[in-house]
Amino acid sequence: MSGLARHPRLELVLRVLLGGFFVFASLDKIWNPAAFAKIVYQWQVAGPVPSNLVAVTLPWVELLAGLLLVFGAWRRESALVMALLLVVFLVAAASVMARGIDVENCGCVSVAKAETTSSWLPAWTKGVGWFLVSRNLVLLGVALAIAFAPPEKLSAPR
Amino acid sequence: MPVNWKRFILILAAGAVAGLAWNAASGRGFALGRSVLVQAGDELVEARDAKVLLDHGALFLDARPRDFWRMSRIPGALSLPEDDFDRAFAGLEGRLRRAGGIVVYCSGFGCEASHVVARKLRERGFAAAILNEGIPAWQDAGLPMDSGPRS
Repeated sequence: MSGLARHPRLELVLRVLLGGFFVFASLDKIWNPAAFAKIVYQWQVAGPVPSNLVAVTLPWVELLAGLLLVFGAWRRESALVMALLLVVFLVAAASVMARGIDVENCGCVSVAKAETTSSWLPAWTKGVGWFLVSRNLVLLGVALAIAFAPPEKLSAPR
Repeated sequence: MPVNWKRFILILAAGAVAGLAWNAASGRGFALGRSVLVQAGDELVEARDAKVLLDHGALFLDARPRDFWRMSRIPGALSLPEDDFDRAFAGLEGRLRRAGGIVVYCSGFGCEASHVVARKLRERGFAAAILNEGIPAWQDAGLPMDSGPRS
């Protein structure tokens, strides 16, 4: 995956796509923190109070890291923050799947109930399952490729 | 250029501070110290206290989808699923009027169904307590479940 980031233009595209995805994913959650908290509860990884803290702080970390990456500032560090988040999401998803918990909407990009989110997307793209795990693995690969790209290949001043 | 770990920590910390500030000042936030599912008027009961109510004849209602109730339930609990409330309520109304107390539960602290069912019952004139953190709290307290099939 790191080979993809050895070309400055490709690195720029990946940066904007990954950063933009994180920014997009944060907005609905920031605007509806209580609704996002209810979704975090459904993952049943931690109790209500820790889940509340996650629901309130996580979207802002996503937003900040996403904006930094899109604008090319602190790109290694912001990409590593995303990588850390994605690893946490992957572990949590594995835990949910192993326990057989049915989470209809993972809360990844929207807090709307699964049946009311955009109907052109099938339900299995919204819940916690293999699609989510695969997507996060791809995003993790992109984040790590950006974080560890050789300095001379980066597209803009560091 | 190596990773600057101070920047890494700063991004995490700044994001967390921004989130807490937004929650406190935006008008869209919520109280962090308790579940957002709990609303004004909700009465929560802990598992041990709920068992005492059960022993004194309280009626327990399972707010999960009926198939879950069929598989396992708190002993004596009847099914009043959130997703089929009106029909199930019509069949249970007589029992509810005779009950010495009502406790509603569902599958855990992430489950909103027990809160929704308790509120709907309250709207219809029935006082119903909510088992705090649902079945996991009941089981963690060492209290029994019925797992035989029901229809």
